[in-house]
Amino acid sequence: MLAKTIVNRLERIVGDKNVITSKVALIAYGYDATLLAGMPVGVVFPANTEEVVELVKAANELDFTLVPRGAGTNLSGGALGDVNSTSVVVAFSRMKKIWEIDTENFLATIEPGYVNFEFQEELGKKGFYYPPDPASYKAATMGGNLGECSGGPRCFKYGVTRDYVLGLEVVLMNGKVIQTGGRNFKSECGLDLTRIFVGAEGTLGFITKITVRILPLPPAKRTMLAIFHKAEDASRTVADIVAAGIVPTTLEMMDGLMMIIAEDANNIGLPRDAGALLIIEVDGYAVDLDGQVSTISEICSKNNVREFKIARTAQEVDKIWLARRTAIGACGKRRPSYSMQDITVPRSVFPEAVSGIIQCASDLNLEIGILAHAGDGNFHPMVLFDQRLEDESHRVHAAEGILCQMALDLKGSITGEHGIGLLKKPFMDKQFSPVGLEVFRKIKRSFDPANRLNPGKIIDL
Amino acid sequence: MSNDAIAKLRAIVGEQHVIDAAPDMAGHLKGSGIPLAVVLPGQTSQVSDIVKLANQLNLKISVGGAVADTKNLDGGIALIMSRMNNLLEIDRENLVAHVEPGMSHLEFIRQAAAQNLNFPVDPYRFEASSIGGCFAVGDTDAKSFQYGPTRTYLLGFEMVLPTGEVLDIGNKCIKNVAGYDFIHFAVGSQGTLGIFTKLLVKLLPMPETKASVVATFPTIKQASESIQTLVKRNIHPTRVSLFSQPLAAGIVPGIADQLVMIGFEGFKESTKALTREIAAVFSLAGGGGVRVIEDRAEHDELWQKWQAAKGRLNCGYSTQTIDYSVGPLKLAKSLDGLAGIVGDLASWPGINVEALLGNIRVVLPAAMPEEDKAALAVKINALAMAHGGNVSDCLGARLVCESYRDTEMWETVTGLLETIRRQFDPQGIMAPGVIFS
Repeated sequence: MLAKTIVNRLERIVGDKNVITSKVALIAYGYDATLLAGMPVGVVFPANTEEVVELVKAANELDFTLVPRGAGTNLSGGALGDVNSTSVVVAFSRMKKIWEIDTENFLATIEPGYVNFEFQEELGKKGFYYPPDPASYKAATMGGNLGECSGGPRCFKYGVTRDYVLGLEVVLMNGKVIQTGGRNFKSECGLDLTRIFVGAEGTLGFITKITVRILPLPPAKRTMLAIFHKAEDASRTVADIVAAGIVPTTLEMMDGLMMIIAEDANNIGLPRDAGALLIIEVDGYAVDLDGQVSTISEICSKNNVREFKIARTAQEVDKIWLARRTAIGACGKRRPSYSMQDITVPRSVFPEAVSGIIQCASDLNLEIGILAHAGDGNFHPMVLFDQRLEDESHRVHAAEGILCQMALDLKGSITGEHGIGLLKKPFMDKQFSPVGLEVFRKIKRSFDPANRLNPGKIIDL
Repeated sequence: MSNDAIAKLRAIVGEQHVIDAAPDMAGHLKGSGIPLAVVLPGQTSQVSDIVKLANQLNLKISVGGAVADTKNLDGGIALIMSRMNNLLEIDRENLVAHVEPGMSHLEFIRQAAAQNLNFPVDPYRFEASSIGGCFAVGDTDAKSFQYGPTRTYLLGFEMVLPTGEVLDIGNKCIKNVAGYDFIHFAVGSQGTLGIFTKLLVKLLPMPETKASVVATFPTIKQASESIQTLVKRNIHPTRVSLFSQPLAAGIVPGIADQLVMIGFEGFKESTKALTREIAAVFSLAGGGGVRVIEDRAEHDELWQKWQAAKGRLNCGYSTQTIDYSVGPLKLAKSLDGLAGIVGDLASWPGINVEALLGNIRVVLPAAMPEEDKAALAVKINALAMAHGGNVSDCLGARLVCESYRDTEMWETVTGLLETIRRQFDPQGIMAPGVIFS
């Protein structure tokens, strides 16, 4: 329960109707896209930077903690209340202005609560786009994307959120407001504060304004679908395409199980007995694409492709993407719960990681479907289960540990684009040496010495 | 005390790798400071021992690939990484390389190219730059419109922290968000957070083809409007550079006009079509000597001269130039505005434009007094802000704060930077010449 003095103060800052303290209403803010839960004691909805500053001052004076939250689509537990349940969630759903879309400067400035998909739609009207497009982009906010340094299917060619953030307005934990970076695409010399806020999972400061780089839509694009009998053939195809010097925007993989799940939900004509599919997309100047498509087609044939399609129309492109975009939600039709992993391995050991995931599923008697941003070596193994079955839930947690350890044994990372939050925190000392962990603590201490902002996420002080 | 320190340094790296005679040190030093010694470590553990010793004896350390900055380094250690210059691994399957920081940047590009791999980042100071310096400075991204900024190419590193511990961070994965992004925060940190001892660098497949277009224009205005037309037409080459006559003369001796250089690194079909389209656009716009260069040797030679010219500009960065950026489609207007401030641009000491980045480098007259430079920077920043940009780097950040009359913000930013620095370097021994405020 939040003390009355704190509630009064919060209500004075953001207005009565923008503070939630009732238990029933808080439930909506006590979970995210993981299986974790962490109820906050209150939720506030600031409308602008000044209100965020006042919230920070109140937290310092009255000694409570703050947790920033976008749409809660994150896969790390990073926006949940802390274990001691003293946190007030600062939800950014009222801060979703577009300050500017400047197509002459190739940039846009937005507030953190703005939703990625809506942003893409606005940019599309002007012939521009913003490359990072995580799978959750229909709901996920730009502030959340920034906090997690989100990726998405296009990063193989275009890079991740980090590479598109030019400048920020940040409310620091001492209540001061700073601007970082600028409006330049050029690198900044000196300590580039923008970079440390991107991917900091909302533990170093409140981002209240974001300036990002936007790009003109590519002149042309080709989308291909390749279906293979065996997952290994799909893995080899990925390696061969990269070795041929082609940098596709997208190299997405789904294994046979995920294909069945997508087909059950959508009836789009995917075979139920295939090993894997690849969605391959190339973009650029139209005259260059035919050559790349024919090289890719030859590579697929060489690797025993069973079916190879090139989308001829926008509808066909959408149809190809439908399977991938809906696959995660469609898991609900097969089993009531899923645990989505986010491991990354060097591309050269992609086939070993596929085998490792299959082995893990069979060892623990679990169903694990595989989604992967294959060009990046970033896997999202989908562990399907029923949370009500205690024994099965235990095995799911065991699988999470085994998969993280496998990624590290293959010299990879425990998270490629979802972040650490609470979920991966237990594995941090497996990926980082004590020196590395101390470096992270030094960073956290520099920004939030009192540990009042999203405490307990990523690392303990 | 100083003899004692030198003896200890010699014990760490070996007699012959500590230089303390002034004439012998000179070749490794930049600026007027006089360090105790130039030290050339051969391996990570030696770097770590040197840093620990420096903490004990309270000696400053300035690091360089071949040459170290001696600002505020009197009596300290100039640490030269040139002995740690091995290419440890090129992993073709994962498109990454492990390299020691002292390897020359150009040599690294050559070694990658020999394996048909592309490291697209240009050297900061041409032949003098090391690969460690490339990431320590971070600011070498003229090709970043196509390839992304310099920091994108650093996937991990081994670093000796200012307190002597060895940090090993990163892996061969393109995507990795575990923990704070110290990997990319370190890019551009100029040695304040530690000393790179090994770098894990991302490479790309070699492009299918390379070609260029060159042209000259009587005025900066004509040149900038012509190159802006390309951006409007959605033509995005790899580099689009403009040099005013005094700078152009360093690339094409005897040139009488402003020089525009366009470089393509990409696919054959589009390169062929677009170089011709650009040549036609330039000819129509009054460009002289318009040429498409498809011969690879000639193309390479041209861009080597470009790199050398940029290297000369970078030598005077922050002392002899003011650097600002606006959007690629605000170039021409902002250059009009600049002419309003400094007068005719063609007769000014030098203007260099990287059009795809909207980046403009203004070379200052050699004898310009410091207060005039400062006044000009304020005017140029106001101009850049009016066109949606700002002056680059720390200077720009300060000027933006000042333009809002917000000294509190500037103090907060520099205070934060100092706090971070002290967290990593409590004794304040690293990079004494780098001052954030």
